[in-house]
Amino acid sequence: MNAWLIAHNTFREATRDRVLAGVLVAGVVLLLLTQALAPLALGEAQRLTVDLGLSGISILGLLVIVMVGASLVGKEIERRTIFNLLSRPISRPAYLIGKWIGLAGALWVLVAVLAAGLWGVLAVRGLASHGPAVATAAYLAGLELTVLTAVAVMFSALSTPVLSALYTLGLYCAGQWSYDLRAFASNFPPALATTCRFGADLLPNLPVFNMRTLAASAETTSLAHLMVATLYALVYCGCALALATAAFETRDFK
Amino acid sequence: MIRPAMPDSTRLNGETQPRQLPSPNGGQSSSAPRPRLGQWGRPIPDPGLAVCTRDLSKWYRHPWTGRVFRGVESLDLEVRRGEVMGYLGPNGAGKTTTLKVLTGLHRASRGQAWILGEPVERCASRRRLGFLPEQPYFYDYLNGREYLELAGRLSGLTGSEAHRRSQHWLARAGLGERPLLRLRKYSKGMLQRLGLAAALIHEPELLILDEPMSGLDPFGRRDVRDLILEQRARGVTVLFSSHILPDVEMLCDRVAILLDGTLTRVATVGELVHDSRQRIEIRCGGLDEHDLPDRFRTVLERREHPHETVLGLCDESRLPEVLGWLLSAGASVRAVTPQRATLEELFLATAESWEGTRQRRSA
Repeated sequence: MNAWLIAHNTFREATRDRVLAGVLVAGVVLLLLTQALAPLALGEAQRLTVDLGLSGISILGLLVIVMVGASLVGKEIERRTIFNLLSRPISRPAYLIGKWIGLAGALWVLVAVLAAGLWGVLAVRGLASHGPAVATAAYLAGLELTVLTAVAVMFSALSTPVLSALYTLGLYCAGQWSYDLRAFASNFPPALATTCRFGADLLPNLPVFNMRTLAASAETTSLAHLMVATLYALVYCGCALALATAAFETRDFK
Repeated sequence: MIRPAMPDSTRLNGETQPRQLPSPNGGQSSSAPRPRLGQWGRPIPDPGLAVCTRDLSKWYRHPWTGRVFRGVESLDLEVRRGEVMGYLGPNGAGKTTTLKVLTGLHRASRGQAWILGEPVERCASRRRLGFLPEQPYFYDYLNGREYLELAGRLSGLTGSEAHRRSQHWLARAGLGERPLLRLRKYSKGMLQRLGLAAALIHEPELLILDEPMSGLDPFGRRDVRDLILEQRARGVTVLFSSHILPDVEMLCDRVAILLDGTLTRVATVGELVHDSRQRIEIRCGGLDEHDLPDRFRTVLERREHPHETVLGLCDESRLPEVLGWLLSAGASVRAVTPQRATLEELFLATAESWEGTRQRRSA
């Protein structure tokens, strides 16, 4: 129950933050820009619109996570607002889970609004049939942002806002290249290759959430893929939050 | 130096043993406390206590040098239900550290603490607790009513009850005229009053206030004092730290003095004052400059003012003798006033005595 109260308050904090409003405006500008660039796409205007629109959702969501999520807990500790929460009957795990749910909720709203805008632009161009493909890709983008939010909350609970922003960004980049890291490992001696693969397994497997190319061709992915991606996201979030909780349990707030 | 952890059972008792001034064993109580054990051999505190700590210690380790700093050391503090206790000590004595351990913001390095019978490690211990941190900070994107509703709901109130009480407490704190004003526009005094309202919204049984009057103007201090007195009348236990000793003297049933992380004294204000040296001031006129007899030189201190002589008598039992002599010498006695030491003087004397003892021991 208390986790929901924290989540509601975090959602309120994120939606009242100027960052989210700025990101929404930037998203709308990006969608309009795709239409301005359409004549230069040599007949690939539809692909450009979908690809840029979905990439925009991911990048702008990442921007919110770095600017808001990475300081989500650290800022509360620095400003000592956390005293008012944790001196009430709230467990520390419930606090972290509430923070994660609240920001993830705000990001899902952002994803939904931008995806609806993208579908609107496509509908104006007579491509309303892209709806399911855009919805599927946007859902996976939302899952990707949910995983990154958990990672940001984890770093935020352990480190300063600046460092946690850098760590989150670093993990995002490494996660995008996790397949390349596995492929690269085969060039190393067996012991090093195993270590490298193990490291790649620890990174978030972000390519699993990337369906932009399929959506650009108006194709949707399988239900099995969606279920596996959802399960993977939940398990990864659970692990990140469990780690955060373990470290947060013994922390003193000065 | 950090002492090894002692088994809890060797330090538990059910009775308060107020600490005396520093003793050779580091200010520890010499009486061996009796353990009270519950199910599975777990220690349980006396149910008549709102706050109970046993051998509570908190140390901090510097992250780079590894050096250990002491916050509080072997604290045995007991606050009875329904009493108002002042928690005194100079800056850095460990007052805030203690309050943070009690409210779950710090984890104890050793020992145990209970709030209303619940160990402080459990969330349930904070269900009936209201806490006002020192210089409270709030979410500046919320308004007063939203903040109080959030505080109430986090403390277990239903949505409608939290809404009703938030309106009541906003008005009670003098903030009801602009309930939708964002907290970023609140003054320091308004924030302090909002913090108090948030601490009280769920009608807690125990109120812990960390420097509740710091930074407030005289009107704000009076409001806080009135609130504390009102809570005491309701039967709420109040533990508060403060540097404003006249307020502590006015409000508290008992005071605990913490020096250098160690509890050095727990007593009622009356006991503290009674223990101090009594002094009587006698104001009189028409006393010759050379009139002080030799037999009074050790107990009387004489000060000449423009129109009168002020005699300070440090032995109450000799008052009749002194008055008899004054009257026989033809002096006109204008006032005889017992001089009670203020809590501030007693606190300073305790602190100086502690410091002296510590220096002697280290030498």
